[in-house]
Amino acid sequence: MSVAGTAGAYRERIAAALDEGWRFAGLHASEGGAVVRTLLVDPGGDTRLETVAIQGGVAPSIVDLAHGAAWDEREAHDLHGVGFDGHEPLRPLVDHDLDLEAWTVPVRGDGPYQVAVGPIHAGVIESGHFRFHVVGDLILHLDARLFYKHRGLERAAEGHTLDAGLAYAARACAACSITNSVAYAHACEDALGLETTPELARARTILLELERAWSHLNDIAAVCAGVGLAAGNNRFSALTEQARRLNAALTGHRFLFGSVHVGGSSLEIDAAAAQTAREELAAIDAEARSAWRELLFNASFQDRLPDVGVVATDDAVRLGAVGPSARAAGVPDDARIGAGRLAYGDFEPVLPRRAVGDVRARFEQRALELPQSLDLLASLLDRPLRPADATPGGEECKIGVGRAESPRGATSCVVERDGDRLARLRLRTGSYANWPVVAFAAAHNMLPDFPLINKSFELCYACADR
Amino acid sequence: MLTLLRDLRLLRRQIALSAPDRGRSLALRHVDAGSCNGCEHELTLATNPYYDLQRFGLGVVASPRHADVLLVTGAVTTRMREPLLIAYHAMPEPRRVAALGDCALGCGLLGRQEELVGPVETILPVDARIPGCPPTPETIAKLLLQLIDGAAMG
Repeated sequence: MSVAGTAGAYRERIAAALDEGWRFAGLHASEGGAVVRTLLVDPGGDTRLETVAIQGGVAPSIVDLAHGAAWDEREAHDLHGVGFDGHEPLRPLVDHDLDLEAWTVPVRGDGPYQVAVGPIHAGVIESGHFRFHVVGDLILHLDARLFYKHRGLERAAEGHTLDAGLAYAARACAACSITNSVAYAHACEDALGLETTPELARARTILLELERAWSHLNDIAAVCAGVGLAAGNNRFSALTEQARRLNAALTGHRFLFGSVHVGGSSLEIDAAAAQTAREELAAIDAEARSAWRELLFNASFQDRLPDVGVVATDDAVRLGAVGPSARAAGVPDDARIGAGRLAYGDFEPVLPRRAVGDVRARFEQRALELPQSLDLLASLLDRPLRPADATPGGEECKIGVGRAESPRGATSCVVERDGDRLARLRLRTGSYANWPVVAFAAAHNMLPDFPLINKSFELCYACADR
Repeated sequence: MLTLLRDLRLLRRQIALSAPDRGRSLALRHVDAGSCNGCEHELTLATNPYYDLQRFGLGVVASPRHADVLLVTGAVTTRMREPLLIAYHAMPEPRRVAALGDCALGCGLLGRQEELVGPVETILPVDARIPGCPPTPETIAKLLLQLIDGAAMG
């Protein structure tokens, strides 16, 4: 962790780190708008923060070095009043109530017009606004305007104890509740100098993989719904229901709420419950495989998926894509690699044979990762689980960093504390990282394909908006 | 494809809720006014083969113009206040409002005061309350059926 340095040195350090293979993992304003911190992560899972002092209300932009920082800098401007030298134009992201010209990219030429969709959508979907710039049916550009669900959770968490702050991270999003909670708990434990134990690591890994299992089943159903294949949607929805019932049987809650705590785990699974869970997981695995085969041989369905919403490998890296969407484009990025506080061992992500980053690749990526999660769960549940506490022994510090892989990608949490109180909480979720990638993937596709492209990412609005 | 359809038929026979013939229907329009996405996920599952709300005459429609009931989830954020009111005023009368989930009911809200309007009933008349964080698909199905039977109508 470095002290706030000069603008030039800050940019040089980040540029050098990116050259050495570190990746951008988040940026936030802190200390009441006095500093900006950039989080970097290396392929082995190590993290580091680079801090720069804000002078005259302006910090140096790094958006030319790491395109993924674009949303972070726009958010820091809107919520903390920080200007970014070199980020031109710095369009509003969180601020609404502005003229259309302020937040849309000008699209000129012969006959382009705009299609406005949302914030309320036609199905049971979260709220957010999409402004498509189109010629005929062809999308030239998409401005995604989210933050309709902005509840100010990070700021509301400030001043609470580290324990009480957990609720703000957990409730940011139900679909990523465990990931956000684990990332938060890791960040607090990092700041408090607490170290994990094998049993604690196992409890949290079980919870993370249970969350991934239901979510991947849900995402497969969502793509079926995206093209109107009701049978596929219904089959995988039923499997999602089975997975959520298993969650309730193991933890008392269908979304696993309340199972993560800072500094320990109270989750207890006895031998009989673990055995029943393994049987249920095996049943889900078998049924999902059989239903997946049915989808593979449905030609009219499969014809809709290839070459739509393409994100090439270079673009995925450049834009900072994470999670299944990045892996489907051939980027082996996964926060489970080298996750020292979790029980993943020498985990390696699975990559598709045809990692071309289209809707089909992202769809197949879920089906590839699902059995991996179910296998992992079966081996983690081979014995009873007991409550466990983290152990003191590490070094206490003011700022802690935690990471976990959500079903949508790597999630980073930075906790800055003032004694036992939260001074600053920043949660950067997989969805947040991937939303700009959705907008990129939509361009040069047909407007009627957008729901399908969007479903192939299946991002949360709630954990981007917070 | 045939296997898939056979499996679904089997599932429905084995596990679906029993469906007495009500002979009536309600069209639902959902508006997310600032939820954590939990209520949406459970509402979506209420239409799967385990609960299959459509068999009871309950369907989610695309436009408030076609809706009898506005199903509102989430702590109403200041940014969703206006779209929510527009959706409500676009509905034909008689219209009903159901607050879905603890946030919409104002229980245990998290967030900054400046960003939240408060529970749904601060800006709209609420006719049905569906508690839970989030309510299970079963609770959603049961309370919506009460609504269709008139039991929960104000």
